[in-house]
Amino acid sequence: MSNVRNTGEKRLRRVHYYPGCSLMSSARDFGTSLFQMFRLMGTWVEPLEDWNCCGASPAHSVNPDYATLLAGRNILLAERQGIDDLYVVCPSCFVRLRTAEKILATDASMNAKLAKACGREYEGGVRLKFTPEILSDAPSVFEKAVVNPLAGLRGVLYFGCLLTRPEWITGFDIRPYEKKLKKLVNVLDVETLDWSHSKQCCGSHLAVTKPDMVDGMVDRIRDHARRAGANCIIAFCPLCQVNLELRGKEVEPLPVFYISELIGLAAKLPGHEGWVKKHLVDPRPLLNSLGLV
Amino acid sequence: MKVDHSFFEEVSARSGQDLSRCFHCMCCSGGCPVAHGMDYLPNQILRMIQLGMRQEVLESRAIWLCIGCYACVTECPNRVHIPYMMDALREIALHEQVRIGEPDIWAFHREFLKQVGKRGRIYELEFMARYKLATGNLFQDAVMGMKMFRLGRLELLPSSVKHKEIMKKIREACDE
Ligand code: SF4
Ligand code: SF4
Repeated sequence: MSNVRNTGEKRLRRVHYYPGCSLMSSARDFGTSLFQMFRLMGTWVEPLEDWNCCGASPAHSVNPDYATLLAGRNILLAERQGIDDLYVVCPSCFVRLRTAEKILATDASMNAKLAKACGREYEGGVRLKFTPEILSDAPSVFEKAVVNPLAGLRGVLYFGCLLTRPEWITGFDIRPYEKKLKKLVNVLDVETLDWSHSKQCCGSHLAVTKPDMVDGMVDRIRDHARRAGANCIIAFCPLCQVNLELRGKEVEPLPVFYISELIGLAAKLPGHEGWVKKHLVDPRPLLNSLGLV
Repeated sequence: MKVDHSFFEEVSARSGQDLSRCFHCMCCSGGCPVAHGMDYLPNQILRMIQLGMRQEVLESRAIWLCIGCYACVTECPNRVHIPYMMDALREIALHEQVRIGEPDIWAFHREFLKQVGKRGRIYELEFMARYKLATGNLFQDAVMGMKMFRLGRLELLPSSVKHKEIMKKIREACDE
C-alpha cells in the first residue's frame, strides 16, 4: 500500500493513529489541535478504522485477559488494514496496546483466543508508536512555525505516570526523551522550570470515585508547581489534563495546557482561539495579561 | 503455627510474579501516591499473602485503590510487579464473591466495561449516569458535569464499532 497521499499541491505522508475514547469526546479539541500539528509536519492523519476502546484501567483491573483481547483487536485491525506504524495519542491507551502486543507475541494461547473472537491471529506486523515521540523529534518544524512566541509563560512539564514509567514496555530511554519534550516546549518560547512532581500521579479514575482523595493529590501537585514559580502546567495526557483542572480545592488553580494546544497558540493554527475556551480552569486571563491572545 | 501456602501460590501463578522475592524494604509503599488512603500498604498486602491471610486481603480496600500507576514498580529493588499482583487479587475477589472493599470503585469498573461490551466504545454521558445510579452519589459533581457539558467537552451521541456482536465474542473468548 502506498504510504503517500496526493493532495494536489503537495504529497503528504500518511500517518495512522489510534483515537481512543477521550480524544473522541472530552479531549476532542486537544485531538483536533494534535492533528493540526501533524499537518504542520507534512503528514496526513487517518484514524484506525473501526477501533474499539482499549479497556483502559477497568479491564485489566478485573480481567487481564479481557484487557489483552480488547487491545489486541485494535492491533489486529491495524495489521489487516496494512498499517505499519500505528500512533497512539493517550499514554494509558499506549501502555494497554503495548502490553497486549507483548503478550500476544509470547503467549500462543492468548493469540488463539484472539483468533477465536476475531477470526485471525496477530502476526506481529504493526509497530506501535507514541505520538509525542514523533513530535519531539521535529522541534525545528515547530520552531519555524512560531509566529506568536509564548514569552511570559512559565510552565512545569507534567509527565504523569504512564508517559515515562514503564520503560521496558514503552521501549525508549527516558532521559533523552524528557529533554526532547522540554526542547519542544522551549522552541515555543515557553520557559520550563525544574520541579519535583512531574511524575506524581494525577489520581486517574479515583478522580470520579474518590474525589476527596484526588483533591489532595492535585493540590499537592499545584502547590509544588506554584512554588517552582510556574504560571501554568503543561500536560501530555488528555486525562491528566482533565484531572489537574477538575480536582484540587485548597491551592489556587493553575491552567493546564495540552502540548499541542500550546503549539497551536504559538503557530496560530486554525481553531486555537476555540481550544483555549474549553478549559475548566480558564487560561484566558493569563494569556491576556501576557498579550498572547 | 503452620502457614497455608495455597493463596500465595495462587496469586503468584495468576500474576506471573515471584512474590517470594520481596524483602519488605517498603520502597513500594513509600512511592505509592494513594498509600495514605489504603487500609493496608502495598507491601503489607504482599506480606499478608505470604502469611495466607486470604479473606483479609481479598476484602481489603487497598486492592481497589491501587490505580496501576507503576510508581512502585520503578521503586522496587527486586522488580516485583505490585500492580499485576493487585490485578490478580481483584480478579480472585470477584470470582470468589467476597465482600468488596470499595464498592464504588468496583461500580466504576463494572459500568465502564458494560459500555465497552455494549458498543465497543465509551459513551461518557450514559456511563456517568449509570455509575451515579449504581452508587447513589447522584449529586456529587453535578455542577462540574454541567460545566463540562456547557463547554462542549461531552459528546452528545454515542459512537460504536461497526458490528457490535464482535464485542460479545471477545467477552466470551476470555470467559471460557
Ligand atoms: S519495594 Fe519490592 S521488595 Fe520492597 S517491599 Fe515493595 S515489593 Fe517488597
Ligand atoms: S501501582 Fe498501585 S500500589 Fe503501585 S504505587 Fe501505583 S497505586 Fe500504589
